[in-house]
Amino acid sequence: MFSLLLWVWIILGGILIGAGVHFIPVGGAPAAMSQATGVGTGTTMLAAASGLTGLIGAGTAYYTHPGDFAYTIVMGGVSAALMISVLAFIANVMYVYGAGVPLASAKVKYDPITKWRQDLYVSRGTEGHGSPMASFISGILGAFLAGVGGALVFFALAETYKAIPGFSATFGSYPAPYYISLAAAFAIGIFFLNCVMASYNIGGTIEGFHDPKFRRIPKSIAASLVVSAVGGLFALLISVMLPGGI
Amino acid sequence: MAEGEQSPRRLMVIGIIGALIGMYLARYLNLWTGTAWFSFFAGLGAICAVYYGADAVRRVASYGLGTGVPSIAMLSFGAGQVAVLLGLAVAKNYSIWFAGPVIALILAAIIGLVNGVMARRVIKMNIHIMEMSMTEIAMAASLVILGLSTVIAGSFTFNAIMSYVVASGFIIAVFIVGAMAMFHPFNACLGPDERQKRTLNLALSTGFIAMLVAGIASGAINGVQAAVPTLIIAIFGWIIYYLRFFADTKQDAAAMLSTGLIPAEEEVA
Amino acid sequence: MDPQMMVELGALTLVGGAALIAGVAEDLESDVGSQSNPNSQVQLAPQMGYLHRLYNKAISGEPASYPFYAAIGAATALSVLSVTGNNSLIGVFFALVAGAFVTALIHGVYATTSYMGRLASQSRFGQPIYMDVLRTHTPVLMAHGFVANFSVLLLTWVLIAQHLSPFPFVVLAFIWGIALGGVGSAVGDVHLGTDRYYQDRPYGSGVNAAHSGSVVRKAESGLRNSIDCAWFCSKFGGPLTGLGFGLVVYLHFWKEVVVKDWWSAVAGIIIVMIFVIMNTYLERYSRQRYGTYKEETEAE
Repeated sequence: MFSLLLWVWIILGGILIGAGVHFIPVGGAPAAMSQATGVGTGTTMLAAASGLTGLIGAGTAYYTHPGDFAYTIVMGGVSAALMISVLAFIANVMYVYGAGVPLASAKVKYDPITKWRQDLYVSRGTEGHGSPMASFISGILGAFLAGVGGALVFFALAETYKAIPGFSATFGSYPAPYYISLAAAFAIGIFFLNCVMASYNIGGTIEGFHDPKFRRIPKSIAASLVVSAVGGLFALLISVMLPGGI
Repeated sequence: MAEGEQSPRRLMVIGIIGALIGMYLARYLNLWTGTAWFSFFAGLGAICAVYYGADAVRRVASYGLGTGVPSIAMLSFGAGQVAVLLGLAVAKNYSIWFAGPVIALILAAIIGLVNGVMARRVIKMNIHIMEMSMTEIAMAASLVILGLSTVIAGSFTFNAIMSYVVASGFIIAVFIVGAMAMFHPFNACLGPDERQKRTLNLALSTGFIAMLVAGIASGAINGVQAAVPTLIIAIFGWIIYYLRFFADTKQDAAAMLSTGLIPAEEEVA
Repeated sequence: MDPQMMVELGALTLVGGAALIAGVAEDLESDVGSQSNPNSQVQLAPQMGYLHRLYNKAISGEPASYPFYAAIGAATALSVLSVTGNNSLIGVFFALVAGAFVTALIHGVYATTSYMGRLASQSRFGQPIYMDVLRTHTPVLMAHGFVANFSVLLLTWVLIAQHLSPFPFVVLAFIWGIALGGVGSAVGDVHLGTDRYYQDRPYGSGVNAAHSGSVVRKAESGLRNSIDCAWFCSKFGGPLTGLGFGLVVYLHFWKEVVVKDWWSAVAGIIIVMIFVIMNTYLERYSRQRYGTYKEETEAE
């Protein structure tokens, strides 16, 4: 049945996903040529890679502790943060030992966390390389937010669909019940809605919270609010439309 | 719009009408005969929607989205799958199951329009066709999802889609295969000498691959009845349009060499 | 130690190993095809007047194409399993092989369309389409893709069979596909883009944006092709990608199998902290070892 609280969780989840994307340091295609600070992938897909890994963690948490709200969202966030910390660290190993460049950012003169000088370490004609400490921490924070957001959406949808009669059946002998399948599919869909909106807002590359582009975040929050409100409303109305179950 | 191109309006009619006719044919013929032999009609319908969606992607992505072509299709398919299942659930609730696809289409248009307005007005993307394109791509996406799901389940009632397509997880395969069929044509033909005819022939070829995957998946639900006709038609259709794309490529390319060295500077006029 | 945990630890080892192989194969596959980020250089080269004989496989970025393959493979495997039943080990094995095989075919088809499509759309720069490049590279792509996808399907199946995740097979394979593509494009592509494509430039600096597109087109002998790039990247980029994806998958489930309940969240946070500390050391090492590019006085 329609629950206002669960709708609020979905909207909040969408906002967290959209905000989290802004924290994740994305170098895009130039990062592969050591031309830009950040991890070398598109904004949308890097956020999806970490946030949906968080969704796997949230799914497992929801499965082992059914209905445990706090555990589900914390595991979602931690799993996503773990994924991006491994990813950014291994990418940094690649920059240092494979490309022979120090980790540096061209957007700030001093790293806001370590206070290390940045501009001298940026090679000619580039915008920095690798993920220095500020970007690294920012990425972990962003992935945590995105993971929590994905987990919130998943939790709200799974709790809603669990109440529909007949939705605890499974497909053949596989363990996944209907409500988990539907909630996972929609959580992925709503995740993409929000992180694509956020990446349109960023428009290319971002280094993390110290990047000037980070100030665009309110626009993304407004867009995420509306987009996930509509998407979440549609997803929750399914339970209203099925009073007798399937 | 360059000379010899198909107009967006014509493609819209082909996409929407074709997809709906395909789905209804599949549903009614399957129901009437009590078998699943006719599921492939829905796949042909989905290909019409891919054809239409690929052109919509082409029109909006040629402005440059800033994050690559795939993003817009991922967004629209995310919106589309929510719209499809809500549409079918509404149809089930009011016992008007024959109207399911139309309701899904309308809901997809609403959610697509909201996304477009957000992208253009709030995020302030400087693409004047953004609202229209997002609406069109979300509509096409919902039709592709529904068409391919109908191939798998043999029917488009909520119960069939839910228990055969969503519960098994095939919905995600439909999501990504449909999205790839829709954005790959323009993404693969990206460049200054892109031509609509070649891109759309490629869209038909990728559409048949999407139908092929749906046909394979339908084997898990309806067995040989659904899978065999779908696979045969998908493979033949794919061969025809792949060869057409190949011929177009041959016509458009600077040269198609069996082998050779890099041309010297002066040879390139 | 209870027997259930022993079984789960064994499954975890298998999953980590499969992820490692998937990562290596994925990166080498993308190097053969010049997919994802370094593709921008191959795409730009003819425009700057550098015609080449490299492959140009733009099936979107790796994080979008790998879930595509994984989802097709998983859907096919599920379909085969509906016929053979999922009780016998050998039946499952063949279903996964069938899934990876169908994926490899579709991968090959998509690869040829993007090579031909992209190059035909650059005809004004005089870039020819070489059919022998298409013929020699596509099977190599398909083979690497087969290994990567089979490994992803295998690790997903083990997770499902051990009830380590409640998600359906296809959904889980899809998400691991995104993660694999993300790691592959973030890690392995750097070796290809910074080092291999610009081997004639001095080592130890980023590629100057002014040199974008001037990729190396001549090899030690003859002209460079993309299979040479996979050979080069198999020395560092590929294995490191494998390590990255293996660690992502292994640590993700290690924290859930070895420690339970809230302690797994704590374990996750501790692992993240360890990576932060290691990154600090790495950053300090790189700065001390390599030094600055400009003098203090030069900087504005």
